[in-house]
Amino acid sequence: MPDLPTLRPALAGEPALDSTTIALQALPEGHLLQIMGATERAVVEAAIAAAGLEGSDVREAGYRQWYVVGDKQLSSKTLRELTSALPAGTFLSDQSHGRVRIRLSGPHATKLLSTGTAVDLHDAAFPEGRSAITLFGHLSVHLTRKSAAGFELIVLRSFAEALYEELHAHAA
Amino acid sequence: MASLITCPHCGQRPKEEFTIKGDAGLARPAPDAGADVWYDYVYLRDNPKGLHKEYWHHSSGCRRWLIVERDTVTHKVHSVSDAALAKLGGAA
Repeated sequence: MPDLPTLRPALAGEPALDSTTIALQALPEGHLLQIMGATERAVVEAAIAAAGLEGSDVREAGYRQWYVVGDKQLSSKTLRELTSALPAGTFLSDQSHGRVRIRLSGPHATKLLSTGTAVDLHDAAFPEGRSAITLFGHLSVHLTRKSAAGFELIVLRSFAEALYEELHAHAA
Repeated sequence: MASLITCPHCGQRPKEEFTIKGDAGLARPAPDAGADVWYDYVYLRDNPKGLHKEYWHHSSGCRRWLIVERDTVTHKVHSVSDAALAKLGGAA
């Protein structure tokens, strides 16, 4: 059907930034699944392993909520497998189309982020693998520390351009 | 106004991340309680001096409803708990 909208990456056409002090890049719009329920992280990790999603990352996203993220797009079969691997009372919502990931890294990344968010980003308070939902300016973002100087931001798709351009302007 | 709230799920966050609903001590009247009682419940609020319990929603964080007990005179926050978990009797 020609009138169906074709999926276009939200940040297609936005320039990546790569300098010695800071790097900014839009990540592939693979999968981003929200999992909610009275369960634990280990159970969610076991379920994604059972569904063959070893490369996916599980991130805390609030009380009893997690995001499962990865670069690959998932088939509906894999989604069904994952849904059935989750325990009863735990639910999955596919947010791949609705949220966009942005990577920010480099020695100045922490300083740049701290201009927009109130979360304490010191290594001791926000170590590798830790996630937080917070505001960057007026935009709600999910922030994860991936490495000592590398962060990933998850933002609602319609706010992705605004956030990216703001980060780009601050970083340049 | 208290400017830093320690969310039981997210840690210390600024008040900009929250939405305040108001008095957490209100009891919903019975459906047939009468217009005066309902008017009171819907529109009339105390303006307490001192300790006050309020519902705060961590709208730009974990999206949980919290009960914040704060002092309206000193702006000190005395306790923050998860409203749903407190109702269930569990600790946040």
